[in-house]
Amino acid sequence: MKDNYIKSWLRDFWGIFGHELRTIFSDGGFLIIFFFAGLAYPILYNLIYKNGVLEDTPVAVVDNSGCAASRRFIREVDATREVSIAYRCVNMEEAKDLMQKRKVNGIIMFPSDFGEKIERMETAKISIYADMSSFLYYKNLLMGTEFVMLHEINSIQIERYNASGMTDQQSYQMVKAIPYEENIPYNRTFSYSIFLISAILMLIIQQVMFYGMSLLTGTSREENRSLATLPEDFSGHGMGRVVLGRGLAYWLLFMTISLYIAIIIPAWFGLPQRGSFQDIIVLLVIFLTDCVFFCQAWSSLITRRETVFVLLLFVSPILLFLTGFSWPTCAFPKFWKWFSYLFPSTFGCQAFINLNTAGGDLETIRFQLMAMTVQGMVYYALANIAVLVENWVISHREAIKGKRREVKGKIEERIEDRIEKRTGKRISISSILNKPIDSDI
Amino acid sequence: MSTWHNMAAVARRELRVWRNRPIYLLGSVVTIALCAIFYLTFLRAGVPSDVPIGIVDNDNSTLSRNFIQQLDATQLGKTIEYASFAEAREDMQKGRITSVCVLPEGMYADVQAQRQPEFTFYVNTLYFLGGSLAYKDILQMINLTSGAVQRSVLRMKGVNEHAIAGRLRPVDLDIHMIGNPTMNYGSYLANMMLPGVLEMIIIIIIIYSFGTELKYGTSRHLLRTAGDRMPDAMGGKLALYTLLFLGIGYSLVFLLYRQMGFRFEGVVARMLTDMTLLVISSECVGVFIIGCIPVLRFALSIGALLSVMAFSLTGFTLPVEAMPPYIQGIAEIFPLRHYYQFYVQEGIFGAGFAGWYKEVIHMLIYLFLPLLVMRRLEKAYIYQNYPKK
Repeated sequence: MKDNYIKSWLRDFWGIFGHELRTIFSDGGFLIIFFFAGLAYPILYNLIYKNGVLEDTPVAVVDNSGCAASRRFIREVDATREVSIAYRCVNMEEAKDLMQKRKVNGIIMFPSDFGEKIERMETAKISIYADMSSFLYYKNLLMGTEFVMLHEINSIQIERYNASGMTDQQSYQMVKAIPYEENIPYNRTFSYSIFLISAILMLIIQQVMFYGMSLLTGTSREENRSLATLPEDFSGHGMGRVVLGRGLAYWLLFMTISLYIAIIIPAWFGLPQRGSFQDIIVLLVIFLTDCVFFCQAWSSLITRRETVFVLLLFVSPILLFLTGFSWPTCAFPKFWKWFSYLFPSTFGCQAFINLNTAGGDLETIRFQLMAMTVQGMVYYALANIAVLVENWVISHREAIKGKRREVKGKIEERIEDRIEKRTGKRISISSILNKPIDSDI
Repeated sequence: MSTWHNMAAVARRELRVWRNRPIYLLGSVVTIALCAIFYLTFLRAGVPSDVPIGIVDNDNSTLSRNFIQQLDATQLGKTIEYASFAEAREDMQKGRITSVCVLPEGMYADVQAQRQPEFTFYVNTLYFLGGSLAYKDILQMINLTSGAVQRSVLRMKGVNEHAIAGRLRPVDLDIHMIGNPTMNYGSYLANMMLPGVLEMIIIIIIIYSFGTELKYGTSRHLLRTAGDRMPDAMGGKLALYTLLFLGIGYSLVFLLYRQMGFRFEGVVARMLTDMTLLVISSECVGVFIIGCIPVLRFALSIGALLSVMAFSLTGFTLPVEAMPPYIQGIAEIFPLRHYYQFYVQEGIFGAGFAGWYKEVIHMLIYLFLPLLVMRRLEKAYIYQNYPKK
């Protein structure tokens, strides 16, 4: 008896698995998404963000003081990686005009008393104006001028202390009372590609799977099949074999693409790969399993093939924000923090960033792995329930339809009665509502 | 029948479709409403505050405690103390804290004796915004602490306060942020994300609307309604969608620059021009895609893949000029890119017509796209000779 159960379980499981694979590979729409989004998106995003950092932001200088100090300052700013002096303007009007024409993205202005104030040992001001149309312009302008300013401050201070009778060593000790050493271990240059691509890669896996699976679920519903489609020689009842059988088909398919996305792509584009290979495989196994159940649970709500693109495309950028890769998780409003726990990508992206880019180990991502395991179990249960409900609905389809018709009829009758009471005319509502769009074809 | 009659008939037919299938209104009005709620509540704070900064205090002196308290008191930072560097490093790697400051042992004594103790800090810039802000905050605080040490020495030497200020800070920066004076991330991102979502919705819904006629074989009925004239059929449909999307677009402009009060340098009413152009040009892109590939499922996949790219290629985060040249060219095909450049001219510089007329021309060029594919789409509508699946 038991032997039979296991046998039939395996046979069904295998049948469903094979059937799902055939469905996947015979659907052009799915394959476009799979190959284009899965294979080409990672390359495309890497090309877009290939340079990663913005260098030599063009800046206009208005030097009203024309002193030695301001000239030195300008030369030093020009020499930074962040800023390059593109124009020297006579007045602010000219510089403003250049900024509006987008020839420069910032202005550095030295007031006429700049040199005087330095000579008088007062605080001399430099005004900078940053184009905030992209925050990177501002960041470059600020970093470039601030580094030069700190450097300048130190040399001016040393001059001043020397003038007041201190030795070089003494004034250096004064100026650098607490010297500091900065370490930016994982992303030294604040590169856009390193932090963004790390987050985006895992999200691509989840979204491709979700859109793909929803597409197929919708199609089967349209063709009056169900997501719990069973092979013809289906001989058992369990829902577990449906969920696991379908799941395995996607799991295997997406394992190939995940290896490509998580290992080949970073190697190809020279992104940091600091995690060990085994650890990344462990992460991918757990993440993919979670994703498979997540997608099965949610895609069961899709009734038509196209629905998922029309209604749910906007979710992808939102999910990217919810990973906390940019706006920090600690600043999330409470509601969105809880909301972000619904998605495998939240934990998957964080785990990949910590593991692969920051070079952690499995201990580092323990929280994310546990969260994904719990999430996976919950979604496995939900996917099972979805199959159960689906089967129940199919077997009771006629009864449900009858019931619905009955309730609808009752409501319509009531409305019709009311209209009759008020206007004295009886209008059939169903004839208005049910008028098909192409009735006259 | 006149063109107007035909178009009106098509529009009436389309209204009936909307009523029968809620997906059109769900996919446009409800979607944009959800997005507006997300972007405007998620980023409401404008700038993150209380970013966690790890501290390893090996000194435990008045100086180090004072430093920690000061750092904690800044709006940006919130300090979390660790017993050892190893623990703090692990938490930084886990992304729980943005950075670690190490205060060396004997720091206070060394400062007193002018032995220059070295302060070390580590920043995790993989969580970009938190990391950058913490970096700025720590740098500022360490410079202030250094300044405080100098100030106490100068005071002891009897230098007066005015002269001290000049010695501590011989040069100062006076920063003006044009177009976003408070560095508000909420307005920075919502300004482009919401129109971006609108562009995406328009492309998808237009493809869907034109494509379903093929999928469900109702295209001949559509043509008959339009008096067998393809331009009227297209015109009637597009007119109705234009009204719908303009309604959404104008509400967005109102929401962003009136209701939320995001900084806008120029005349807000001019953004309506920009929005109108965005709506029309995105519609044209949608028609072009379904015209080129008159198979609903392929066209939708292509439309979806393309419109997701628009967010990155607009260049409001990483500027387009920092991308490789061949990508810069691709960026120009997205209406959102021109919308953004229009917005920069009007919203950030208040430049007026002279600033943005080129973008208007760019976006008007999109109007030719539907003309290119009209004949092809008409044939597909008549013969229905493309696969429906």
